[in-house]
Amino acid sequence: MITFQNVDIKFGEFHAVKNLNLHIREGEFFTFLGPSGCGKTTTLRSLVGFIMPTSGQILLKDADITRLPIEKREIGMVFQSYALFPTMNVYENIAFGLRVKKFSKAEVDQKVKDIARKVDLKDEQLFKKVSELSGGQQQRVAIARALVLQPSILVLDEPLSNLDAKLRVQLRNELKQLQKKFGITTIYVTHDQEEALTLSDRIGVFNHGVLEQVGTPLEVYNQSQTEFVCNFIGDINRIDPGMIENSPLKDVVQPGNIAYIRNEKVSLLPLQGIDTVQLKGKIADREFYGLYSKYVLEIKGGGQLKTIEKESRLFHHEVGDDVDIYLPVCDILQYPMKEGGA
Amino acid sequence: MKTRNLSTRLASINPVSILLYGLIVWFVIAFLIYPNLNIYGEIFFKDGQFTLEAAEKLLSSERAMRSLYNSFILAFSLIITVNVVGITLVLISEYFEIKGAKILRLGYFTTLIYSGVVLVSGYKFVYGEEGFMTKLLVYLFPSFDATWFHGYWAVLFVMTFACTSNHFLFLSNAIRKIDFQTVEAARNMGASTWYILRRVVLPVLKPTIYALTILTFLTGLAATSAPLILGGKEFQTITPMILTFSRSMTSRDLAALLALILGVATLVLLTIMIRFERKGNFMSVSKVKSELVKQKIRSKFGNIAAHILAYGLFVLYIVPVVLIIIFSFTDAASISTATLNLNSFTLNNYIQVFSSMSAFKPYLVSILYAAAASVIVVALALAASRILHRYKNKWALALEYAMLIPWILPSTLIAVGLIVTFNTPKLIIGNTVLVGTVWMLLIAYVIIHIPFTLRMVKASFFSLDSNLEDAARNLGAKPFYTFRKVLLPIILPSTLAVLALNFNGILADYDVTVFLYHPVYQPLGVVIKNSTDAQALADTKALTLVYSVILMIMSSVTLYFVYGRNSRS
Repeated sequence: MITFQNVDIKFGEFHAVKNLNLHIREGEFFTFLGPSGCGKTTTLRSLVGFIMPTSGQILLKDADITRLPIEKREIGMVFQSYALFPTMNVYENIAFGLRVKKFSKAEVDQKVKDIARKVDLKDEQLFKKVSELSGGQQQRVAIARALVLQPSILVLDEPLSNLDAKLRVQLRNELKQLQKKFGITTIYVTHDQEEALTLSDRIGVFNHGVLEQVGTPLEVYNQSQTEFVCNFIGDINRIDPGMIENSPLKDVVQPGNIAYIRNEKVSLLPLQGIDTVQLKGKIADREFYGLYSKYVLEIKGGGQLKTIEKESRLFHHEVGDDVDIYLPVCDILQYPMKEGGA
Repeated sequence: MKTRNLSTRLASINPVSILLYGLIVWFVIAFLIYPNLNIYGEIFFKDGQFTLEAAEKLLSSERAMRSLYNSFILAFSLIITVNVVGITLVLISEYFEIKGAKILRLGYFTTLIYSGVVLVSGYKFVYGEEGFMTKLLVYLFPSFDATWFHGYWAVLFVMTFACTSNHFLFLSNAIRKIDFQTVEAARNMGASTWYILRRVVLPVLKPTIYALTILTFLTGLAATSAPLILGGKEFQTITPMILTFSRSMTSRDLAALLALILGVATLVLLTIMIRFERKGNFMSVSKVKSELVKQKIRSKFGNIAAHILAYGLFVLYIVPVVLIIIFSFTDAASISTATLNLNSFTLNNYIQVFSSMSAFKPYLVSILYAAAASVIVVALALAASRILHRYKNKWALALEYAMLIPWILPSTLIAVGLIVTFNTPKLIIGNTVLVGTVWMLLIAYVIIHIPFTLRMVKASFFSLDSNLEDAARNLGAKPFYTFRKVLLPIILPSTLAVLALNFNGILADYDVTVFLYHPVYQPLGVVIKNSTDAQALADTKALTLVYSVILMIMSSVTLYFVYGRNSRS
């Protein structure tokens, strides 16, 4: 559906996107994930046409759209701020693109009402000012405005980043349902790993203009291909080289490698049927969160690890308790140590 | 790839945009840059030779040197009197608990609804030799000199009250932003009301007070109508002198040099002001700011004294306005003798203004000038802001700086620059002469209002969410359609507010008008000033009072719509 071929984007001396090669499939919910300034929004804007790549090609259904004017790309966009026109009501916002394209009055009316129904906007809401709508309704107007022109792709640039945590979760669910309903190829930009993991069919993780990994949420989480990806997604323990040296871990971690293990993979209970490394330690700190607790473990022989354990009557530890610690060998992620790294 | 880029770029160029941008560039070069450079040639070059003749003439002219001296004396005096009165007014209305503060504030606000020549002529009408207040004072104190209201003291008196508008607008705002918790903290440590005022409140206001001081100094230096109407022969300042010199071909170089001195002083002071602003900006470090609560003056004597002062100032502010309104409803005899009786009340003055073309003409002229100039300047600022918003390169920056030139030059210098430049045919304006035409004044009004308008309109543009424009483009809209349908409706309210303020300011302008007006089409400012002359007829004075009242109403309405309504929402 969409292919980025050797795309480079430079702003003067700044190399924003470096040699991007990526294929996004039809109907897929694809997320560009990464920290601020990693090149994800720049890539998105180059797809929409706001930015011209310095070199390389962008193909849409095998046609080169690299230099095609924005209005001819048929890509609907939902902006971070939603960019709803404040002087127009909901109806006028949705109708804007149709009027630009000179649809007849009757057609505009029909299309606006159709799309409004599909995104669950009531008729009486159509004539409200956009400022009178809730965050969720505003998001639906922005999506309706983008979809009313029947684009082949919908792109969303951090649409939930300005909202509070509760509303973000609610709108995330709505968004997923709408995407399923329309079945449209969707590209979503976010720096929030939780959003990316819950919404996406596949995720592309960007770092300093480089696409470091593409994969399903499970792949990206469990089989992070680079040290950056494993650090950026989820909570993770970096295993201290001293701990490796003074424990059975030295038989597992390759010399010259740096090792990580996700917090929830560190277990305080024996694990059946999988190969584990057993360590001895002490509870150094405990934070109680109700359903679960976060523990800081002081490892005998040096170093610390963090873990999360579900609370129950049978399972409970206090600070100072001696514990056995089990690390599944298959969950120990290893990456070659960079030059100068400890 | 590069050829393809170029052809794409060329194809995207809109000829209308090119024409528009060309027009703006021409206007900037022809009217903002060229006259202000040409003035140096006029002063320092004669027949292609460098000369200091104008400087020698200035040094040997006792009148000119005296006017320079007077201007600086006036400016220095004003910074003391205006700060004393201005700060007092703001403390009375915003900081201390004074009974009836809301009404007092309305009284102090009156200088916002009438200013410049209208205010000066109003004060002369009230305090002049035949004025109501002077007659009252003579009646109460028979030895009182009825001719007291002229010269340095009269100019200082009027300008002191006229210049407090800026204090009211800016200092009030600054005092409201003070974090009340700092006041409470000082009180908690045992500080008295006056100690808190002196050591906690006023130091925070210092940057604003410095800025206002410099603005006041500049106003005093470039004062026009007050010294012209009230100064008399013994107290003439630079601007009236420039006006006199600019009217004769032989002394135009002297006028230009005086205007240049004014310009240099303005530039130096503005530079100082910017440095003060940079240095002394106190940022509140409060996590949660508290709104200022008015302070009760705990000393009984202090409280009574403050109330007497507050109401005394209120009377001083309100009396000219009230008397102008009352006398505008009286006949010519009452106006000329400053006496009131029931039989003298009439609506004839108003009927005459609205029924006689000759009486209405100054209004019509001023309205046409104000409407045309304010629309043109807003259109120009909109186009320029659009360029500045879209293109962030050195050319856009140069355009912005060029358009801000009038901000750093006194209007007198701009007027003289236009006179000395366009009194002969100039190629840049199609080999025509502008001096003596009706267009000259229109162009001057536009030039002078560009910086304020550009700053306000540009601020509106830059506060827009840039995603709006991208969203419109994404939905297929062309740039002009986006501007018309999306951006303009958003910035329209603030743009209209700027337009209204400009219209208001131009309507009764005198300082620029007096240099450039067409004798057949005399605007209101000139007519109002003429009515203050001793030989003016009582009927003319009556009409002037009506003009003044209508101007006050228009100003009030404009200010309400621009500030009042906004602040409510």
